[in-house]
Amino acid sequence: MIQLIFFLLVGALLLSSLFFLARRGSRAEGNARVLVEARQALNALQVGLLPRELVARIFANDDREYVASAAPGPLYELFLNERKKVALSWVNQVHTQVLSLKRFHLGAARFYTRLSLRTEIELAWHFAALLIACRAVQLVVYLGGPFAAPRMVGTTATVAAKVCEISEKSLAFLNPVQFGPVADRSVGL
Amino acid sequence: MTVIALPRRMDVQQAREDLHRRTLSEIVRPLDRLIYLASMRDYNTGVYHHDGLASRFTEEVACEALADCHREVFHQLVVCPLEDLVNQLEAYRKSTHTGPREFLTAWRRLEPYRVAVPVETDPLGAEFLFSNFKIALAILEARLDSLPAELSA
Repeated sequence: MIQLIFFLLVGALLLSSLFFLARRGSRAEGNARVLVEARQALNALQVGLLPRELVARIFANDDREYVASAAPGPLYELFLNERKKVALSWVNQVHTQVLSLKRFHLGAARFYTRLSLRTEIELAWHFAALLIACRAVQLVVYLGGPFAAPRMVGTTATVAAKVCEISEKSLAFLNPVQFGPVADRSVGL
Repeated sequence: MTVIALPRRMDVQQAREDLHRRTLSEIVRPLDRLIYLASMRDYNTGVYHHDGLASRFTEEVACEALADCHREVFHQLVVCPLEDLVNQLEAYRKSTHTGPREFLTAWRRLEPYRVAVPVETDPLGAEFLFSNFKIALAILEARLDSLPAELSA
């Protein structure tokens, strides 16, 4: 009798394992979407939003000084408004893409990558700091204009780059494999 | 004799060098280069054409080389200082032999720079460049307004 119960339990355990595995499989499409979004977010940050030259130019004080000397008055106001729009757009986009990466790390990342506990904690800290920093930059730019907080912008961009670096490692399995030169295995066969 | 085909990326690189050597080296300013390269693109298909380059390489390689150069020069303009952009715009205007008023009116109304950017360019970069063009045009107009009437015509 005990043996029968034992085998029934083992059978039930196997069946439930199969059920959970099947359920995981049905989420494959959703996981693929998260991966694609994460890859796109990473590209958008690394190529479109965080290049040092671009960030420096958007918040460049020399442009402000040039306009102030070349065309003061209403034109200077136009310049400040235009730059403010671009600066807010920049920080909004950084915020959106960082959120997308955060979703990936909270959900799908653990299935595909093995980050150490220390890296996970570091990442969680960076995400939290970055999202707060983005909101703070938004507020400062909105209230004080695009040239109000250059150091804050610099720090935000640096932390975002750090998050990208860690995310890049997590998504490295999506990169095409770089094959080395194929050894001649015919020798000795 | 074994014929080894060169990797495609290498062809594109060679075509780029060829384009730089024969054509782009003659066009000094990035703004002029941007306009020139955009004019090589078919508006209906987005495909770049350059007969000379295509005859030396292939249509496909020429198209990719032109697209690469277009993206490169777009990036140069995005990160160039505003003062530099204003100067380039003024120099370009002079090279077209168009009157300053006529030129500024046309550029402000038609915004031709919007169709001069490469495809698949990052939206923020394009937004930033358009914004800079808008300011540069306003600066040139303000300069023009400050001149005596006979000089500004």
